[in-house]
Amino acid sequence: MKKSRPLFYLIVLAFLFTLPLYTGVYVLNVMGIILIYMALALSWDMLLRSGQISFGMAGFFGVGGYGAALLFLNTGVHPLVSIVLGGLIAGVLAWLIGSAVLQLRGMYFAIVTLALAEIFRVIVRNLPDLTGGPEGTILPQAIFAGNSTYTYWLVLSVAALSVAVSDIFRNTRIHFALTSIRNDEIVAKSSGIDVFKYLVFLFAVTSAIQGVAGGAYAHIYGFVSPEGSFSIDFTLLPIAMALLGGMHSTWGPVVGAVVLGVVSEFLKLQIPYGHLMVYGIIIVVAILFFPQGIVGTVGQRWKKTVSH
Amino acid sequence: MSLVNKLKQSNYQIAIISVILIVVLGSWKPHVLVEGFQRACLYAVIALPMALILGIVGIINLAHGEYMMLGAYFAYSLNVYIGMDPLVAIVPAWIAFFLIGMASYRAIIKYVLGTPELNQLLLTFGLAMVLEQMANLIWTSRPIKLPLQYVSASATIGSFTFGTYEFVYVGAAMVVLVGLQLFLKRTSMGQAALAVGQNPRGAKLVGIHVDRTYLLVFSLSIALIGALGAIFMTRHSIFPLVGAPFTMKSFCLIAMAGIGNLMGILWCSLILGLAENFVLSFRGYAGWADILFFALIVLVIIVRSHQREVK
Amino acid sequence: MAILKTEKLSKLFGGLAALSGVSVEFRDHEILGIIGPNGAGKTTFINVIAGIYLPTEGKIFFENQDVSELPPHKRCHLGIGRTFQLVRPLPGLSLVENVMVGALFGKGLAKKEARRKAEELCGFLGIADLSRDITRMTALEIKKMEIAHALATQPKLLFLDEVMAGLNSEETMEMIDLVRKIHRQGITIGIVEHVMRVIRELTDRVVVLDWGEVIAEGPYGDVSNDPKVISAYLGEEA
Repeated sequence: MKKSRPLFYLIVLAFLFTLPLYTGVYVLNVMGIILIYMALALSWDMLLRSGQISFGMAGFFGVGGYGAALLFLNTGVHPLVSIVLGGLIAGVLAWLIGSAVLQLRGMYFAIVTLALAEIFRVIVRNLPDLTGGPEGTILPQAIFAGNSTYTYWLVLSVAALSVAVSDIFRNTRIHFALTSIRNDEIVAKSSGIDVFKYLVFLFAVTSAIQGVAGGAYAHIYGFVSPEGSFSIDFTLLPIAMALLGGMHSTWGPVVGAVVLGVVSEFLKLQIPYGHLMVYGIIIVVAILFFPQGIVGTVGQRWKKTVSH
Repeated sequence: MSLVNKLKQSNYQIAIISVILIVVLGSWKPHVLVEGFQRACLYAVIALPMALILGIVGIINLAHGEYMMLGAYFAYSLNVYIGMDPLVAIVPAWIAFFLIGMASYRAIIKYVLGTPELNQLLLTFGLAMVLEQMANLIWTSRPIKLPLQYVSASATIGSFTFGTYEFVYVGAAMVVLVGLQLFLKRTSMGQAALAVGQNPRGAKLVGIHVDRTYLLVFSLSIALIGALGAIFMTRHSIFPLVGAPFTMKSFCLIAMAGIGNLMGILWCSLILGLAENFVLSFRGYAGWADILFFALIVLVIIVRSHQREVK
Repeated sequence: MAILKTEKLSKLFGGLAALSGVSVEFRDHEILGIIGPNGAGKTTFINVIAGIYLPTEGKIFFENQDVSELPPHKRCHLGIGRTFQLVRPLPGLSLVENVMVGALFGKGLAKKEARRKAEELCGFLGIADLSRDITRMTALEIKKMEIAHALATQPKLLFLDEVMAGLNSEETMEMIDLVRKIHRQGITIGIVEHVMRVIRELTDRVVVLDWGEVIAEGPYGDVSNDPKVISAYLGEEA
C-alpha cells in the first residue's frame, strides 16, 4: 500500500495538471477556489492534530495577501517571489504570536486566534499610507495577466504543497509527536517531547501555508482590502471542509474541500445570501453526529466489512 | 498574617493609584473618564453572563455575542411591528431568550458537555456562524438604528458636556452583578449552581440535579444577554456581525479576572473601558483602540503562564 | 554513588503541603521502594522529580547536576524515566509504535532504529507477538507496553508507579521477574507500590512517606517493624 502511494499521487497530479487541456475557464476557476480552500483546510487540520484549534486562518491568509501585494508594489519583486515572502511573513508573525500565547493552550489560544483576523484588519485599516486603508489596494494587473491556465497551476502548486507538508507530517516522527501531544501532553513531555517547541513550530508552518495561499489569492484577484482579504469565509469554510471530510488526515480535508467546493457552487446560485449558513450548520452537525467526517466514517465501515 | 498585610497594602496602593488616575483623567480628559466608565459597564454586563456559563457549566460559548445581536434584532422587530420601545422590550426579550436558551441547551449544547474542549469550541463557533448568517438572511447586513429621542440626553458640568443616557449601562451592570451575587449566594438554586460549578460529581452525590442546573444557568445567561441586546439596540446601530467583537472582549475580561471572579470582571472592564476611551481621545490614533483588548489578553496569557507552577 | 538526590523537597498546592522536606537518596543500581498510605505524596514525589511539578522548596540532583528547574522533556533526555498509572494508548498507532515514541524522543533515534529498539523491548517484556488491536489488550499487556515505552527512552533511573495494581498473583510474579530483568540491565529503579509482597521481594531499601514527609527509611525488614510505619498504615485503615 505504501509503495503504490507515490505512484497514485503522480497519476492524480498528472491528471490535475493537465486539466486545462480538456476543460474550460469556468471549471478551472471553480477548481482554483477549491484548491485554495483545500490548502487552508489542510493547514488547519495539521494544527488540529496536535490538539490545538486555530480560528486565525483568515488572519494569516490576509497577512500573506497584503504581504505579497505590498512587497510586489513597493519593491518590484516577481509576483511569485512575493507570494513566498508573504507566506514567510505570516509564518514569522505566527511564530512570534505563538511563542507568547502557546504557553496557555486550549481555549486561550483558540480565542486569541479568533481575534487575529480582526486585529490584523484594524492594523491594516490604520496604516493607510502603507496599505491603502479601508479601501484596500489594487494591483496593476493580476498575476500572469489573468491567464487562467497559469493561474490554475499556481493554485495547484499551493494545494500540492499543503498536501506534501501534510503527508510529511504524517510519515515522519512529527506524526508521533503530534499524536502523543494531542493524547496527553504530560505523557508526551515525559517521553522527551518538547511540546512547546513543537506547537510553535507547527503553528508557524501552518500559518505560513495560509499566508502563501493568501498571497496567491491576492495576486490572482489583483487586490487586497481589509474586508475582502480577512473575510471570515477563509476561516469558516476550511473548518467545515476538514470536519466534513474527516479530521486528522490528509485525505479528509481534501475530500471535504472537493465536496463542499462543488456543493457551494450550486448553493451560491440557489441561496446567494445565506449559503454561508450551510457551512456553520455542517460544523454543528459534524461535531454532534459525525466527528469522524466522511473519510473517517467510511474508513471505519470499510474496516468492519473487511474484518468480517 | 503577613500575606494578609501584603494584600491590604497592595489594595491600599491600588486604591491610591486609582484615585490619582481618576483625578488626573477627570481634569485632563473628563470625556474619557465618563465615557470610559459607561463603556466599561457595557463590557461588564456582557461579560458577566458568559462568565456564568464558563464558571458553572464549564463551556465557552463562542456564540455569546451573536445571542446579544439577536436580542437587539428582536427588540427592533418588536419596535417595527408593534411599536414597542426597546427598553420596554427588555421584558419580552428576557422571556423569549430564556426559552431560546433552554432550546439551545436541550438541542445542542448539552451534547458537548462531557466532550473535549476542542469540540465545544468548534460547536459554538459553528453556532455563531449559523446565527450570524441567519440574521444576515433575514435582515441583510445593512446597519440598522432606531431614531430614539431619549438616547441623546446629556448633561453639562461647567464646560464639559457628556451623554447621560449611557449610564443605563452602569445601571444594568449594577443590577446584573448584584442580582447574580444574590442569586448565587442567597437562593438554593444559586448555591446548587455554585456547587455544581466547583464539583459536578460531588454535587450529584449530594442529590443536586446537575443537568437541570446547567439548563437553568445556561438559559439565564442567554436571557440576560438577549435582554441586554434590547438595551444595546437603543444606542447603537446593529448589524449581523455586531456581536462578535463583544464575545472576544468578554473572554479577554474573563481571562484577566480569572474564571469564577465576577467582581474582578467589573474592575477589568474598567481598565479596558478607560484604556480604550483614552486611546480614542487622541484623534490620530483612534483606530487603534480596538487592538487594546488583544494586547491585554496576550499580556494576561504571558503573565499567567509564568505564574503557573506546572510546566 | 547516589544517582539521584532530593534535598528538603517541598511541594505546596495552595495551602496543602503534598511534600515537606523530603530528602531521599537513590543509590546507583539499587531498587528503592517508595511506600506509604493513600495520599502520602508518593505520586507527587515522582511528579516533582520527573519535572511535571516544580518544587516549592528544595532541590533535586541527578548525577550531581541540579535539575530542579529543568522541564520534563530535558529530564527525560538526561535519563529519568517513569511510568504512569492511567495509561491511554495513542490512538491510530500500533503497539510497537506506541513504544517507539519513547525511543524517538527520549534519545532522538532515527525512525528505523527507534522501531528496532521498540520491537526489541517488546520482545524483552514478552509482548512482541501482539498483532492484535490495541484496544483489546489485557491489563498486564497494557502495563508492559507502558514499561516498554518508558524503557525506550533509555533511562538510567526508572520510576515504576504502581505497576502491580490490579494484577492477580500469577501476573504479579511475572511482573516481579520482569522488574528484576530490567534491574539487571543496570537501571536504578524507584518503585511505588501498595502490594507489600512486591516490596519485600524486590527492594534493597524502602522509603516510607506519610502526609508528605519521610517517616522511615531502610531495608524492608526494619521498616515494616517500625511502630511509626505501622501506625501510619493503621491510621489509614481506621
